[in-house]
Amino acid sequence: MAATLTRGLSGLLRPLSVLGRDCLRLTQTPRFSTLCQRHGSKPLPAVHTAAPLQQTGLLKLVTPLIPSLMLQPVRNLTYYSLRKGKRKSVKSVVQRFLRLHCGLWVRRKAGYKKKLWKKSAARKKRLREHVFCNKTQCKLLDKMTTSYWKRRNWYLNDPYQKYQDRVNLKV
Amino acid sequence: MSLTKTTAGKTIDIVKNLPRITLANLRPNPGAKKDEKHRGRGMHGGNKSGRGHKGERQRGNRPRLGFEGGQTPFYLIVPKYGYNANHSRRPQYPPLSLRRLQYLIDLGRVDPMQPIDLTQLVNCRGVAIQPLKRDYGIQLIDEGADIFSAKVNLEVQVASEKAIAAVERNGGVITTSYYDPRSLQILIKPVPFLMSGDPIPKRLLPGEDLLPYYTDASNRGYLADPDKVQAARLGLAKKYGYTIPDITREIFFEMLVQRKDPRQIFFGLSPGWVVNMADKKILKPTDDKVLQYYGNMKSL
Repeated sequence: MAATLTRGLSGLLRPLSVLGRDCLRLTQTPRFSTLCQRHGSKPLPAVHTAAPLQQTGLLKLVTPLIPSLMLQPVRNLTYYSLRKGKRKSVKSVVQRFLRLHCGLWVRRKAGYKKKLWKKSAARKKRLREHVFCNKTQCKLLDKMTTSYWKRRNWYLNDPYQKYQDRVNLKV
Repeated sequence: MSLTKTTAGKTIDIVKNLPRITLANLRPNPGAKKDEKHRGRGMHGGNKSGRGHKGERQRGNRPRLGFEGGQTPFYLIVPKYGYNANHSRRPQYPPLSLRRLQYLIDLGRVDPMQPIDLTQLVNCRGVAIQPLKRDYGIQLIDEGADIFSAKVNLEVQVASEKAIAAVERNGGVITTSYYDPRSLQILIKPVPFLMSGDPIPKRLLPGEDLLPYYTDASNRGYLADPDKVQAARLGLAKKYGYTIPDITREIFFEMLVQRKDPRQIFFGLSPGWVVNMADKKILKPTDDKVLQYYGNMKSL
């Protein structure tokens, strides 16, 4: 357990070395090797108590930096994945839009739950509507999702079932 | 008549005397092959090769799909909404129209003299089920309810009211039953499962979401009270304005009334039995605990 904690923290400690905390790293590394050896033979309670005291101190110093600097969102579209060589869908698109089988994409209006107190009733009603995307947006969203999201689904009691096909469409 | 006097014989003689086919003798049809465009090989070292003029376009440094120059892109400014929430846990039921069922019966692909089950429909390739895509069975829809005229013992997973009325109007029996994904896979492809040598598992009962559906008599659920089902049949006949034909005097009454036990997957095979396809034998468990687990069902 302590070994996994240290493995997780080693990822966080690497950028700290840029700030010049080599002394901490030097003190940490012998403990890593001793921990690994100990973990290999038998887990001793003394080892578990010694390591976390140092690590919780480090965690307190590191936690304010974690969300903003370390974890940047990845927005790229993966054309060929590393493991399977397949195309991947962009998750943000799947979480925000609905694709109808006829090719239309449905979305919510931006700001439909924000600052409603200052919006008129008509404006709130307009924002509550579900709207379609235009042709360029649909083409973009089609490129960002795989064919799985374009398949026909037969859900039970689907509120969007009757919109999956176009009716009375004149070209 | 010798072979060489016929037209076929004459052509064979001609072909025999032609030179051997080699790559040198073969040529594609005119217009079949169009020359490929070789970009960047023109006079004076070629032009822009269809890449445009300077900038990211020509230099191949365009940003990722959806990027709008730093402005929050369209696909991020739209708020999240649960359109696809739990999509991979929603059961799906590919439709089977009565029109298609009538077509299959008319062509003789499915036998109305036997109970029509999902296995029968898949055997005749009448429906395509993908259990891995969360298909939990088929739903009977009312397209073709007017032209449907077959007396069948039908078992589906979901059925619309008009479809139930259409089947019962013709003197048939319809039941809706639940198959959990493992049982469904076994049901649609029985042979690979039986070849594996595993004991037939018992069919699980529906979860709390689907239980109200299958205990409702108006849906002809397999867990519903038979008296209520009878009352529902009469009620539906009144609603749609037909008289239910009396099936007790039918020749095939026993076949029409045949129904599976809630824990049974196949007609005639109980859970817990092992089928030996090679030796054409069925092995039944004898241990008390095993029998208790499988519900002590005698040969059904």
